[in-house]
Amino acid sequence: MNETLTVAAAKPWATGSERPFVRIEKITKKFGDFYAVDDVSLDIWKGELFCLLGGSGCGKSTLLRMLAGFETPTSGRIEIDGQDMTGIPPYARPTNMMFQSYALFPHMTVEKNVAYGLHRDGMKGDEVRDRVADILRLVKLDAFARRKPHQLSGGQRQRVALARSLVKRPKLLLLDEPLGALDKKLREETQFELIKIQETLGVTFIVVTHDQEEAMTLSTRIGVMNAGVIVQVGEPSQVYEYPNSRFVADFVGTVNMFEGRVSEDEPDYISITSPEVGGEIYVGHGVSCVLNQQLWFAIRPEKLRVSRERPEKEHNVLPAVVEEVAYFGNLSVYRLRLDTGKLVQATKVNLSRSEEDAISWDERVWVTWGDTAGVVLTQ
Amino acid sequence: MSGLIERLPPLRWTAALLRRLGLRGRSVVIAVPFLWLLVFFLVPFLVVAKISLSEAAIARPPFTPLLEWDGLRAIVTLNFGNFAFLFDDPLYLNAYVSSLRIAFVSAVITLFVGYPIAYYIARSPEGRRSILLTLVILPFWTSFLLRVYAWQGFLRSNGVINNFLLWAGIIDQPLVMLQTNFAVYLGIVYTYLPFMILPLYANLVKLDESLLEASADLGGRPAATFFHVTLPLSMPGVIAGFMLVFVPAIGEFVIPELLGGPNTLMIGRVLWNEFFSNRDWPVASAVAIAMLVILVVPIMILRNAQAKTEES
Repeated sequence: MNETLTVAAAKPWATGSERPFVRIEKITKKFGDFYAVDDVSLDIWKGELFCLLGGSGCGKSTLLRMLAGFETPTSGRIEIDGQDMTGIPPYARPTNMMFQSYALFPHMTVEKNVAYGLHRDGMKGDEVRDRVADILRLVKLDAFARRKPHQLSGGQRQRVALARSLVKRPKLLLLDEPLGALDKKLREETQFELIKIQETLGVTFIVVTHDQEEAMTLSTRIGVMNAGVIVQVGEPSQVYEYPNSRFVADFVGTVNMFEGRVSEDEPDYISITSPEVGGEIYVGHGVSCVLNQQLWFAIRPEKLRVSRERPEKEHNVLPAVVEEVAYFGNLSVYRLRLDTGKLVQATKVNLSRSEEDAISWDERVWVTWGDTAGVVLTQ
Repeated sequence: MSGLIERLPPLRWTAALLRRLGLRGRSVVIAVPFLWLLVFFLVPFLVVAKISLSEAAIARPPFTPLLEWDGLRAIVTLNFGNFAFLFDDPLYLNAYVSSLRIAFVSAVITLFVGYPIAYYIARSPEGRRSILLTLVILPFWTSFLLRVYAWQGFLRSNGVINNFLLWAGIIDQPLVMLQTNFAVYLGIVYTYLPFMILPLYANLVKLDESLLEASADLGGRPAATFFHVTLPLSMPGVIAGFMLVFVPAIGEFVIPELLGGPNTLMIGRVLWNEFFSNRDWPVASAVAIAMLVILVVPIMILRNAQAKTEES
């Protein structure tokens, strides 16, 4: 972290004032010789919507399954709401899980699926009916109560699964790739619905996802996982703008990365000599590093500006040729070949409907960025 | 495949002939089992049905023909007396009821023995499953008749079990096990167990583990999970296994003959006696037809269960 972040006092993870609701302490899970989860410690506070983000096989699902009680940690302990979860079977935990496959009981109607958890707690009659009706209204499925799962669309099944996991009002809701099977449009709608439900019910959510966009939209905080280890924990903007490693910078969003060595190390700026840039990168703030140290400069595509005229600037101006332009509607992505041969990506918001004079293929352009727009990474 | 047909003249000619007859590949494939059933099932059934409607006679074959020519026209004599006779003599009704009861009880016992075994195999690690399944099928490598005879050796008064119990001092007189209904139940359960385990296994192995986890997650203890999720979802397997034991056990002859006593009344034995001892083929055929009619109901249930499985 290169800058002190100002964080609102309402965020308990920043102030540490409250006791964490979920404490994961030095949890390790081994399958044979393979460390699925390797010495992970993590605190999650009440009312959070925490996303565990990582590629497949990074251990995020295993961590979730240990919280639900389906896997036993090889070592370490998990505490939920002040209660040690060691040796407590899934059916006795204050958690509910929404499965990636939804795991709806195929032989039961929507109603019965949702009522299942309430019946297991010995609840009967009108109370069950009311609770089921309420939650089905919340997920807008009241008209489908009598249907069987195979008579529903993917989106409807997903909402049944959500209703079933919410109806018991768990203290902690675990969601395994909850929106994975939905198409883009439906996914975006459901994301906002999830946030709304989470705020209405005040349940703590832990969501596992490989989709960084989903993690960005949903969460109060993100934990980025790689190879069984949590590499960075932070708010979405923190993780995006201040990644602490090349892995995070690369995994969360798109990034242009330049390798180089420190050539000037001053308290209020540093210079990096990078053969990939063909010169110096000027960084307008201090970095704790030593001269000649190897490091990486990462900059997001939207922070690069592309122009035909050379900007009146001393630093961070590079000549390039437009190799490709991809039009996405709301924005255009430029792939630029620097004179050194390095490819970089820049995005531009399409402000007007038609730009006759837009920068196009094979043009010679200048790429530039602000002195504090990028991140210096040392690992 | 089509290349092969084009290259071999006999196949090509056959294919051309079938095409001319308006038969496509699909209908030919279906025709094979269809013909098999027609020749080896339907035709013999019609023969038995025909015999059941004739009268016994001291002749060769020992029954009167249905169809006679008196030179001018064909005379068809149908005799329903054999079926009426089945209701007159309580022996037959008793034998049917007794067969149904023995088959039903055996099937229930087989289910209770087979379900845990099938469940255990289905939940075993994948590599071990095939070994366990082989063990289930292993008895088929020995003749069924030999295995039932072997049980005689175990069950008789100076057999393995009695000798052991006497030696251990648990009993001072041999137990009478052979030639009892107990031995018949034991024989049926033992013989038909694989037919229960295999369909149950085939069903249970497909059971989505995440459903069990979902049940546990929603507060279902192992017993609740079993009765509310596993068992209902395995019902097609239960029904298939049950019927595969129940249906053939009704007509079982060898087991009651070798292990049962004189008062083990089963329709298979009655049939055998009618046929070979009494040489009353028409009554024997009527017994067989009546048995088939009784079996139609459970077979329909079985088919229904299978159709449901395919549907889901």
